[in-house]
Amino acid sequence: MNKEKDIRILAFESSCDETSTSVVKNGSEIESLVVATQIKSHARFGGVVPEVASRHHIEVITQITKEALAEAKVTWDDIDAIAVTHGPGLVGALLIGINAAKAASMATGLPLIGVDHIMGHITAAQLVDKIEYPAMALQVSGGHTEIVLMKDPTHFEIVGDTRDDAAGEAYDKIGRVLGVNYPAGKTIDQWAHQGKDTFNFPRAMIDEDNYDFSFSGLKSAFINTCHHADQIGEKLDKYDLAASFQAAVVDVLAAKTIRAIKQYQPKTFIMGGGVAANLGLRERMDQEIAALANPPKVILPPLKLCGDNAAMIGAAAYNQYLEGDFADLRLDADPSMELPYAADYK
Amino acid sequence: MKILSMSTATSDLSVAIRQDGQLTFAKMEKNQRNHSVDLDPLIEEGLKETGLTLKAIDRFAVAIGPGSYTGLRVGLTTAKMLASILGKDLVGVSTLKALALNCAGRNALVVAALDARNQNFFAGAYRGQEAVIEDGHYALGDLLDQIQALPDQEVIFTGSDFTKYADAIKEGLAGKQVTFAEGDDNLLQAGQVALLAEKAAPIDPDQAVPNYLRRTQAEYDWQKKTGQAFEADSAYVEEV
Repeated sequence: MNKEKDIRILAFESSCDETSTSVVKNGSEIESLVVATQIKSHARFGGVVPEVASRHHIEVITQITKEALAEAKVTWDDIDAIAVTHGPGLVGALLIGINAAKAASMATGLPLIGVDHIMGHITAAQLVDKIEYPAMALQVSGGHTEIVLMKDPTHFEIVGDTRDDAAGEAYDKIGRVLGVNYPAGKTIDQWAHQGKDTFNFPRAMIDEDNYDFSFSGLKSAFINTCHHADQIGEKLDKYDLAASFQAAVVDVLAAKTIRAIKQYQPKTFIMGGGVAANLGLRERMDQEIAALANPPKVILPPLKLCGDNAAMIGAAAYNQYLEGDFADLRLDADPSMELPYAADYK
Repeated sequence: MKILSMSTATSDLSVAIRQDGQLTFAKMEKNQRNHSVDLDPLIEEGLKETGLTLKAIDRFAVAIGPGSYTGLRVGLTTAKMLASILGKDLVGVSTLKALALNCAGRNALVVAALDARNQNFFAGAYRGQEAVIEDGHYALGDLLDQIQALPDQEVIFTGSDFTKYADAIKEGLAGKQVTFAEGDDNLLQAGQVALLAEKAAPIDPDQAVPNYLRRTQAEYDWQKKTGQAFEADSAYVEEV
């Protein structure tokens, strides 16, 4: 590998409420990573407002492109390709990164690579350690809850998916009931560590013979419990509520994921997405995997790489670069892009 | 001076190239909704036809607003990245001023107006290139009152399909001679953007944002609910 030329990719990510640019070398080494987050703006509204997100993306896009190059101490002459998330995500938000990347490609003559946001999240693991295939990933965020089987660096399939709310979405919704500001995951996680699982909320689909999830029933049970207590003037312990909610989420995620690992026997297990930053989930998965007879190598990307960032897009783009998988100037946003389902998906 | 201009503010996509005062390329794709897909290929077509490269362009010009929010961002993101990477000028031109230029030779007050729904318009009124009613978001009735107060006898409307408003406009401007622009005179053209960009001052690509003329509904609702003032947009975004 040392004899070959280094491949540097400049990547853009703007699918939701973070605008990010990064220079990644050989798909594994972050030379720069700039993330401009809009959390403070959307906190005003209790959730991401798409038009506001798009407006913030265009404010910073040229500035953070220059910063990514400067931080990596490179110029456009050192870059080999330009990559961008083209879905899934908010269409207006995706279009900023896409049009920026296409303009950069026209201006520099560099090839363009369109990257699936979810493949990016999972491939963030490549920035931490070498992924051995087949690999399996649990991808949990505000928009997704999926178990993904990775046959090789560019062929990913869904073996388990949420039937309704994403896990992160459920955190934000019950957070609202507890008066926790968006995004609620971090606070709920902290409270959960100070309370006990006393409410026994439902573990939906935990015994079903598939790898799918459902969190809307849990959310409703939680909200009903709080409303009922309000009506009879009873005050519930917020730490116990958080601990009970989190235990229900973690139980189902862990049970289904461990069963999938037992069936598919991956060589590497990866946890990605914003909810992968959840300490309760991390601790539980560590424990359960260590107890397996034939445990896969585990890669838990650091917190900075769990949220939306362009370095993960640069990592995934490198795998596509090696296969010559390039896009042209007609590249468009695909807001509801989905990975394919596995042939044996139930 | 070589200017490459683009307009993505309305449903008509257009790109033009102007070299030393002469329009050497102008093409419009009417009534299409996928500017993000078609803009770059149209730019490449213009370069090919004029034998120019992007590096030879001195100035990138764009209709900067008002207009379709998503459309404005497609054009401005492209223009500001090109200008920033190639180290060339970026110029933002008022969508309404460029529209008004379509009818500038007719010695009348030109009202450029984009339908913003519910009897509202993004509009401005021009005598030649001079704005006599500033670009803004107006209720149709208020706009007509302002025009009626002006001394101009002849008024031309351009920029939208005014069919369903024609009676209300003629009634609101009783005593004036009102006409509606037809054909391409009613459409935003990148050629006019390029012409106006020749003498306009360049703007900093890092600071350039579309001139939306409206905040989002979510922001107005938040302000109403909390009574708080808006901070500068940049205060809401942090690098982490």
